[in-house]
Amino acid sequence: MKQSGVWAARAGVGLVRACAVAAVCLLIPAVWGGAVALGIWWGPANPWSWLAPLLIVVVGTALLARPVCQVVRFLVTRWTGTVVPTGYRQAGPVTRMSTGYWWNGFSYERTRRDALMDQRWRIRWRDPANWRDLWFTLVAPFTAGLVAAVPPAAAAVAVLGLTWPERVAPPAAAVAAVVAVASAPYAWRLVEPVAVRFLRPSRAMALADRVEELTAQRADVTIAQAAEIRRIERDLHDGAQARLVGLGLSLATAQKLMDSDPVRARALMRDAQAGAVASLTELRELIRGIAPPVLSERGLAEAVRALALDSPLEVTVDADLPPSLDPPIEAAVYFGIAELLTNAAKHARASRARISLARTGTGLVVEVRDDGRGGAEVRPDGGLAGLRRRLSVFDGTMEITSPPGGPTLAVMMVPCESL
Amino acid sequence: MRILVAEDLYLLRDGLVRLIEAYGHQVVATASTGPETLDALRSARPDVSVIDVRMPPTQSDEGLRAALTARSEIPGLPILILSQHVEQLYARELLADGSGGIGYLLKESVFDADQFIDALERVAAGGTAMDPAVIAKLLSTSAPSRGLDRLTEREYDVLGLMAEGLSNQAIGRRLFLSESAVGKYTTSMFGKLGILDDDDTNRRVRAVLTYLNKA
Repeated sequence: MKQSGVWAARAGVGLVRACAVAAVCLLIPAVWGGAVALGIWWGPANPWSWLAPLLIVVVGTALLARPVCQVVRFLVTRWTGTVVPTGYRQAGPVTRMSTGYWWNGFSYERTRRDALMDQRWRIRWRDPANWRDLWFTLVAPFTAGLVAAVPPAAAAVAVLGLTWPERVAPPAAAVAAVVAVASAPYAWRLVEPVAVRFLRPSRAMALADRVEELTAQRADVTIAQAAEIRRIERDLHDGAQARLVGLGLSLATAQKLMDSDPVRARALMRDAQAGAVASLTELRELIRGIAPPVLSERGLAEAVRALALDSPLEVTVDADLPPSLDPPIEAAVYFGIAELLTNAAKHARASRARISLARTGTGLVVEVRDDGRGGAEVRPDGGLAGLRRRLSVFDGTMEITSPPGGPTLAVMMVPCESL
Repeated sequence: MRILVAEDLYLLRDGLVRLIEAYGHQVVATASTGPETLDALRSARPDVSVIDVRMPPTQSDEGLRAALTARSEIPGLPILILSQHVEQLYARELLADGSGGIGYLLKESVFDADQFIDALERVAAGGTAMDPAVIAKLLSTSAPSRGLDRLTEREYDVLGLMAEGLSNQAIGRRLFLSESAVGKYTTSMFGKLGILDDDDTNRRVRAVLTYLNKA
């Protein structure tokens, strides 16, 4: 008794779900059928009577494809818990330019409303996801739609047999009822694999996303690089270059005074020597900021050990690395660790830090933990954001957990393909 | 003294040779690559060698490696490393065998020729000559261990200058103390560090090693 009650409930729920799937999947074919019926009604021989039906098919399909797909996704997630990613293109920010016009990533518009509208339309109709959605609306009716239509159709035949026995023979109605009840719990389930297979982002969409990501990264890197070059230029210009000019002047004056005032000449030569030492010190600091010599001489693991020795913190280093990695990756990771150590000493007021470097199956993993007071966060234009930017060029990431009161753990990862 | 000069940049090598010869020492060999340096160290057995860290063929730390290899074969072979930059890491490697006769200076230290030749002679005699930059880095990363936290501030200063390779007389001049006062500080310092050698040069080197290995 209880068993049959459960069965009835499952059949009932299945029937409702099958009806829903069939209705959604067959909506667009129904529009097409309606359009064809309209054409036949107006006169199939006259080509002009097919104009309106054609328009209905095209516009109807274009407008309904995305809502149908979204409803299918919603139903699949609700009933099975399977999440089917949409992969629709997202709108970028709409910003006001200094000219007063609004830029939406595609064109300039006079008002914010126009810019948003323009952006919406462009994104909606240029999205490569549209083709995938269209393909799904073609596939779904013949697979999930057709199968899901079985229980409701059988149920309809059975009901028809009960009400009009003269039209449908009772044995046929009985068979239909059995088919309806038996198939109801299963018929709707085909929609899940079909949705997973045909509704997930296509390869073209994944590539489009990747291109967008890379474009943004390239812009970021170009800006960061230009700023870096400007900084180096400024440092050289104001530092070593100016000092060398001063040095040349001192020497020229000393040469002039050599015979007439040897005491002053000697003093000037001493100044020149001091200037040379100072400019060498400046150049050394500059070089350390661009490409630390110990990194090119010894590789990442040893360079990090050298860094640990120079840090005011008590730092332990565990390095389990192949002797040489790609120089750009080594540099990015080295400067990342330097930044984290500086933060630990300066902001977190830590006294100890532990650095571990390891090559895992997925890539290079670097952990930096300190016993400081925590509270570190990634601010735009901050050092940590810059660190992330440097790593992102290699698809690397940096995650930091730093609750107030500490401790702080930062994990940098650079995937294997890049190594 | 018989001296080896290993440096890949011709101008610098030539300048060093002339400077050394101007002070009446003899340059017995020159080298411009890592392997050449190692060969010359083995065959010429110079009284002291001036070696650049970065040299061909790899343009990495060829010179430093040649020096370390030679010293592992010939313990105590006096070597003065000249470099564009100083690293604590390299300083520790050079001093690790504890046999003295080691110098590690920035290239601009040759600007003061008298002091440079002085350092060269010190290293040849089995002492040390450390660049103040290395010592300054060590001072800024002070971690109390190995008995160093038992030193007074003054003794600590004396140890820092001793690590640079200065004599008691020179330390006295730097700290405005008499030579005998410096001597008292060093004796009490050696006691605290448990360094009981009789030979003063040896004791100084060991004190410096304790100092460098404290982290």
